[in-house]
Amino acid sequence: MTTLTAPTPRVRLARFRDLTLVPVILLLLVVGAFLDPTFLTTGNLTNVLQQQAAISLVVLAEAMILISGKFDLSLESTVGMAPAIAVMLVVPASAGGFGLGLPGMLVIPLCLLVGAAIGAFNGFLIIKFQLSAFIVTLAMLIIVHGLQLGPTEGKTLFQLPDSILYLGSAIWLGLPASIWIAAVLFAAGIAGLAYFRVGRSLYAIGGNADAARAAGIRVDRVLWGVFILGGMLAALAGILETGRLGAIGSNQGVGWIFMVFAAAVIGGVSMDGGKGTILGALTGVLVIGLVQNLLTLKGVSGFWQPVVYGAIILVALMISRIAGGKAQD
Amino acid sequence: MKLGPAVAGAALLAVVAACGSSTPTASDGSGGGKVGIDHPRADSDFWNSYMKYVPQIAGELKVDLMPATNSQNDVTKLVNNVQALTGQGAKAIVMAPQDTGAIASTLQTLENRKIPVVSVDTRPDKGKVYMVVRADNRAYGTKACEFLGEKLGGKGKVVELMGALSSVNGRDRAEAFRECMKTKFPGITVFEEPTEWEGSKAASMLQTRLEQNPDVKGIYMHAGGVHLAPTLQVLKQKGLLVPPDDPKHVVVVSNDGIPQEFEAIRKGEIDATVSQPADLYARYALFYAKAAVEGKTFKPGPTDHDSTIIQLPNGLEDQLPAPLVTKDNVDDKNLWGNQVK
Repeated sequence: MTTLTAPTPRVRLARFRDLTLVPVILLLLVVGAFLDPTFLTTGNLTNVLQQQAAISLVVLAEAMILISGKFDLSLESTVGMAPAIAVMLVVPASAGGFGLGLPGMLVIPLCLLVGAAIGAFNGFLIIKFQLSAFIVTLAMLIIVHGLQLGPTEGKTLFQLPDSILYLGSAIWLGLPASIWIAAVLFAAGIAGLAYFRVGRSLYAIGGNADAARAAGIRVDRVLWGVFILGGMLAALAGILETGRLGAIGSNQGVGWIFMVFAAAVIGGVSMDGGKGTILGALTGVLVIGLVQNLLTLKGVSGFWQPVVYGAIILVALMISRIAGGKAQD
Repeated sequence: MKLGPAVAGAALLAVVAACGSSTPTASDGSGGGKVGIDHPRADSDFWNSYMKYVPQIAGELKVDLMPATNSQNDVTKLVNNVQALTGQGAKAIVMAPQDTGAIASTLQTLENRKIPVVSVDTRPDKGKVYMVVRADNRAYGTKACEFLGEKLGGKGKVVELMGALSSVNGRDRAEAFRECMKTKFPGITVFEEPTEWEGSKAASMLQTRLEQNPDVKGIYMHAGGVHLAPTLQVLKQKGLLVPPDDPKHVVVVSNDGIPQEFEAIRKGEIDATVSQPADLYARYALFYAKAAVEGKTFKPGPTDHDSTIIQLPNGLEDQLPAPLVTKDNVDDKNLWGNQVK
């Protein structure tokens, strides 16, 4: 099940480093099967994948940004704001929109455009203006969320065009469409970062930007592209989440960034840049999804869930440290 | 942990403080003094409706209202806002402290300065209040339990999508629901899902629970604003969104009373909701604030607006009615959910 959303890479010893969480996933599957008979059913595991599809795209975006040595906290706000603004541009004023009367089929392109614009603006401030990525995107996290709260006046958008609901709720070939979308994008990410020049250059830039520049890589252009792509992936995550939930609440995406970083880091992506793989980040998302699912199935008390949950992330981190053999940074 | 929101709040506070120092809205000079009001949050449908009613009703009741502050669900900001409001000459304060314990010392300070406080929706644990204006949240849980219990004939499985356990209202609803189920309908199994008022968590938890227990027959949602759409979406995906007369129908009871819930009741997608009276909250908060400024006093007992004032150790509480809305009375014009556009 764990390889469902990613093609198995060719077996090479160096590659095993990305798979240090695989034992953790296997352990979770075995323990889960004993704890609850529902856990290891196709239906339940499909649900887990569907529930994690949206956040996994943000993890994919964050992993690429981290690998290239930068940081983006604002992705979580884009998850809520991009679809909200796109929907408001399309729906009539009576449904909480701006009343511009744009056709409903434009909502997805508009949403991706908003995401790209946020990414481009982040990129401008960080690359051209040379500001600290951490603080810039922290400020953007606040601003972007505010840009959702302001126009919507904090209200939930209930009346949505069908086109934005489709991707998050459709079933393709027996599996939710969101799983297919995440699978394809992860496959592209894994292949892109492993075998293509642009993808490889992210590692070079994350490892040493000056050396990369000296080697002839267009560092600024690549980084800017990564931020724009990140914003678009976050917007797409917002579309999938909107389809799954059937409405855009004012706190959609809020608080995700902690889970995103947890998933990326336990999956072996370094916060300092230059290290980690997309496949590793994917295993990180799966671990988090399986743990959440188990906690719900077992009905762990709401007062104690955060403790259990945090502890399991720590344990996963330790296991990946031991299995990976190398010191984490 | 939540660095982002905290910084956001701080930035917003700076803006609010800056706005607050400008001249207050035009007053017609009636009443005995200015009333300061702090709103608890800006991200919930219920409170947004309440915030819309406030200026409107202030006009009707001729309350000299200062520009409202917003504490963004953070008690430290509430404390700062209250200081700012009193600094600007508020003679009474309307607030809705979401943390009912941590507000005690602020209430003490206000009491020393002889500034009466009206608390909306929550009942402070300690410190003097002039009047608490709230619907009985325990009654929400009990009403939901009785409705579900009767509909299910006292047996079967029920999923309860709970609010944040750190909020007194979420806790009250959960506790009352639990007690009522235990004593009146012991044959019903309740699955409690801690959703933290998050739609995303609610959808995942409900989906997982339905996978594990396909025979779940009832759902109790603590807040229609966040739980309604995800619940309907999950039921739809499972093919369980069917009319009430279909044997596969899952009985859904909600809390809040927003227009979308009424729409879902009319369509037969959900069965009932408890309407939390946003309009009455705003009306009586301002009514009592004005009365306080004018020096009026109240006694425990029934009121002229179908509610009862009860005595608390630290003040009085006007328990406003919160009607159960079903298909039978969903078109009632008096429900606030039918009045908002």
